Amino acid sequence: MMGTLGNVFLAGSFVAALFALITYAISAYREDKKIESISHKLWVTKGVFLLIASGILIYLTMTHQFQYYYVWNYTSLDLETQYLFSAFYGGQEGSFMLWVICSFIVGLGLIKWTRKPYRAPVMFVMTLTQVFLLSMVVGWDIFGINIGASPFRTIAQEMPNAPFIQANPDFVPNDGSGLNDLLKSPWMMIHPPIIFVGFAMMTVPFAFAIASLWTKTYHDWIKPALPWTLAANLCLLTAIFLGGYWAYETLSFGGYWAWDPVENASLVPWLIGTAGIHAMIIQRKSARAHKAAIFLAILAYIGIVYQTFLTRSGVLADQSVHSFVDLGLYGQLLLFILVMTFMGIGFYLYRYKDLPSPEKESTILSREFMTFTGSMLLLILGLVIILGTSSPVLGRLFVDNPTPPEMAFYNQWSMPIVIIMALFTVLGQHLFWKRYTWESLAGVLTIPLILTSIASVLSIVLGDVRSIYYMVFIFAAWFAVIGNAAVIVDLMKRKPKLIGGALNHIGFGVLLLGILASSVYTESLLDERTANYNQRIAQGDVYDEEGFPVTTPREMFEMELNSPKLINEKWMVTYEGYELSDSPRAGQQTYRLKFEPIDGGRTFYMNPEVYPMLTTSTMDNIEWSVDPHVRTGWTSDIYLYVAGSKYVQQENERVAAMGEMQPAVDQEDDKQTVEINKGETAEAGEFSFTFQEFLPAEENQLPDDTQIGIRSLIRVEHVPSGEAYEVEPLFAVYTEEGRSFTYAPTLEIERWSLKVQFTSVLPESDSIELTVEGLSQSFEEDWILVVAEIKPFVSVVWLGTFLLMGGFSVSLLRHWSREKKTGENS
Amino acid sequence: MKPKLVLGIFSIVLFTSLLMYNFGNSISTYVNFEQAETRSSSHVVGVWDSSQEYGFSRETMQFSFYMKDEDGDVRRVVYPRPKPNNFEQATQLVVIGEMRNNVFHANDMLMKCPSKYNDMSEIEFSSAEGN
Repeated sequence: MMGTLGNVFLAGSFVAALFALITYAISAYREDKKIESISHKLWVTKGVFLLIASGILIYLTMTHQFQYYYVWNYTSLDLETQYLFSAFYGGQEGSFMLWVICSFIVGLGLIKWTRKPYRAPVMFVMTLTQVFLLSMVVGWDIFGINIGASPFRTIAQEMPNAPFIQANPDFVPNDGSGLNDLLKSPWMMIHPPIIFVGFAMMTVPFAFAIASLWTKTYHDWIKPALPWTLAANLCLLTAIFLGGYWAYETLSFGGYWAWDPVENASLVPWLIGTAGIHAMIIQRKSARAHKAAIFLAILAYIGIVYQTFLTRSGVLADQSVHSFVDLGLYGQLLLFILVMTFMGIGFYLYRYKDLPSPEKESTILSREFMTFTGSMLLLILGLVIILGTSSPVLGRLFVDNPTPPEMAFYNQWSMPIVIIMALFTVLGQHLFWKRYTWESLAGVLTIPLILTSIASVLSIVLGDVRSIYYMVFIFAAWFAVIGNAAVIVDLMKRKPKLIGGALNHIGFGVLLLGILASSVYTESLLDERTANYNQRIAQGDVYDEEGFPVTTPREMFEMELNSPKLINEKWMVTYEGYELSDSPRAGQQTYRLKFEPIDGGRTFYMNPEVYPMLTTSTMDNIEWSVDPHVRTGWTSDIYLYVAGSKYVQQENERVAAMGEMQPAVDQEDDKQTVEINKGETAEAGEFSFTFQEFLPAEENQLPDDTQIGIRSLIRVEHVPSGEAYEVEPLFAVYTEEGRSFTYAPTLEIERWSLKVQFTSVLPESDSIELTVEGLSQSFEEDWILVVAEIKPFVSVVWLGTFLLMGGFSVSLLRHWSREKKTGENS
Repeated sequence: MKPKLVLGIFSIVLFTSLLMYNFGNSISTYVNFEQAETRSSSHVVGVWDSSQEYGFSRETMQFSFYMKDEDGDVRRVVYPRPKPNNFEQATQLVVIGEMRNNVFHANDMLMKCPSKYNDMSEIEFSSAEGN
């Protein structure tokens, strides 16, 4: 059986890792080259075994072997090949395996490039983390204690008490339960690998920091560690960007960031890693801040393990939309974090007295002081976010059953911190490259300050910014952009390879501008009626049926088919119907909304989608998911989704009726007769019928042997909407085999599914009788509920992120090539 | 040296206490419907009571349903937005808002879904049973 084979290779990999741990420890302790090379072989063996196990898991997935719980749970027959492949890391167990594979590859790089005396201790730490991660997936049961959960367990092993397993232990489901539709996105396919490469690389500075404490060589470790940290940060940043972009494009919570614990889990290590990079740079340039550099390198990895613990142990289950299942790994994860923390922080404290300290304090106007401040601010921001994310644990200090903090907590604390950061980046970057006194610094900064003031005033006036706090924020962000741009201009003339740092700091300023504009100045798109209603809510004039004031404004509006509405006094919006299709998702509706700018700009269409989530829908209940349409623009994005529609409602009613096993529609005869005098109007249901006049019937429409044949001109009006049609039903009496018959063909007004029949003429009163069918089904125009927002300058958020990526890449290349040169020379 | 150290410790203590104070204020505790009556804003955990009517009304533009809290009390909940995705699938609901006249006015709602991340024993093999 393939699954058993998989388990064997996983176990082999775990055992190899355990042996490697021992041999690396010995070789580090004795500085024994021979044992070290054995350890490397064990490392490679471990990796190869794991790759084989992963290969088996992928094979099982590709061949749809649904007797395996993992395969059944994350895939289905109709899944496209690329998603079958990515299902490998779609679940908790596979994602642990991916993490180990990434660290394995990073380890190969370390074996190749790391110099003495760091190699063995660094690899020891790397192996230790691998032992823990592999223990999460081995799935051993020793004396009743479960170690890890294997991805190769079968359905029978997963739920031995399920009735169908009891009945038939070899039960194999026909089809899997499938991958969540929301995750079927190319962004989500590449997001996990990038994040795990980032996590794996972030282990490297941690390992080097421990190795430096171990070997008591506190100076040199940052040279090899710095490029790894930069690369780790670049990966985490890319992963954060992809996650944010995915959330914005596919989820309906309307933004790229929600301070969700899982999002924070990648942001915090990034912040602490960046803090560590600052400290390492001081150490490298000025042989100072050893303590901070080692401490932060340790903390960045502990941050990763801690956030892994929070998101995977089930502690956060109530709080996050995407926390993982509790696989019973609580104890193991807790042990992982405790060992890492005690080893890291404990070793650090043990060596603390031994660590070099600077002989004299640095002055405020020095690059050391400024860079160090930046590092500390990043650390503080990271700690604040950790505090917020830890509310289920730390919140118990205050209340029994703590809820997550309000989003305002994060915003209120991060805003002042980033304002100070933004101002310091400019001073720091200037001082980094040249010495200044207060006077000369003021002189250099005059022009950037003037430009910043102009840019800020323009932004404040054009953006109609009223809050003083935001004005300060805008000023600080523009200062970061313009002040650091001045540094770049200066550097370009002298050493263009060194612009990485300044580029990063510009990116940071740009990012701040984008975040403020796109989050604070997001506006709901609304029709006039809803906008007026919201205005009355704001004035406190709206009360609900119980007499309480309504406080929540409406953030949606309704559109009816082909009736245009003026939205935000800017666009004439028309709902033009929807299209049903089965591709790429079965039962998907694509709605079409036409936007015509009233100032004469170019017309455009928005095409939001709604589709049934097949993986979670059941026979009597369809679960709908929305796919928003985002119209990206340079200055603003329009974000729009359909929150409800007539079609969805009808489908729900239809399915609900089927589920209740009732006949679909009550076959109640709702025919009704209407008598109308000539020239008069009669009402029935929601309709009015006006008998205007008799018309002659045409010969060819009549049956043979017709005695009387006549048509009547009837105007049918749908009273609520005022829409009207004219129909000309026919009435005839003919004879066949000596008997008289009436002939009254039914005319249908399809739009209202209304059937009209001219069933009798009453000559004595000059009136006619109509038989109408379909009155009781009140006609409803096709409608949709629209939720839409206009978000200014989301593009600037992305621009800032790209600049940061660019800056990190430039620094990475520079430090890497320098490190390689030293490597070759030594 | 000394005054700097004192200043440093002082500012760290000040920052931390301010942070913890604000943190303590921004978190709240989960309560039941009865306790919610006396509070201005509360988080209530419960499950959807599917035996009673629910749905979105286009007239009031509200989604309303009945929810049973952890002590078994059932109350009507109104939510001024469309029915959230995954509502019926949720194994647990958290409504955040205010209790008024025995009706809970939620301005936010969280759903805990079994979807991918939970134990599957409760989920039937609807498509596989025919085997």
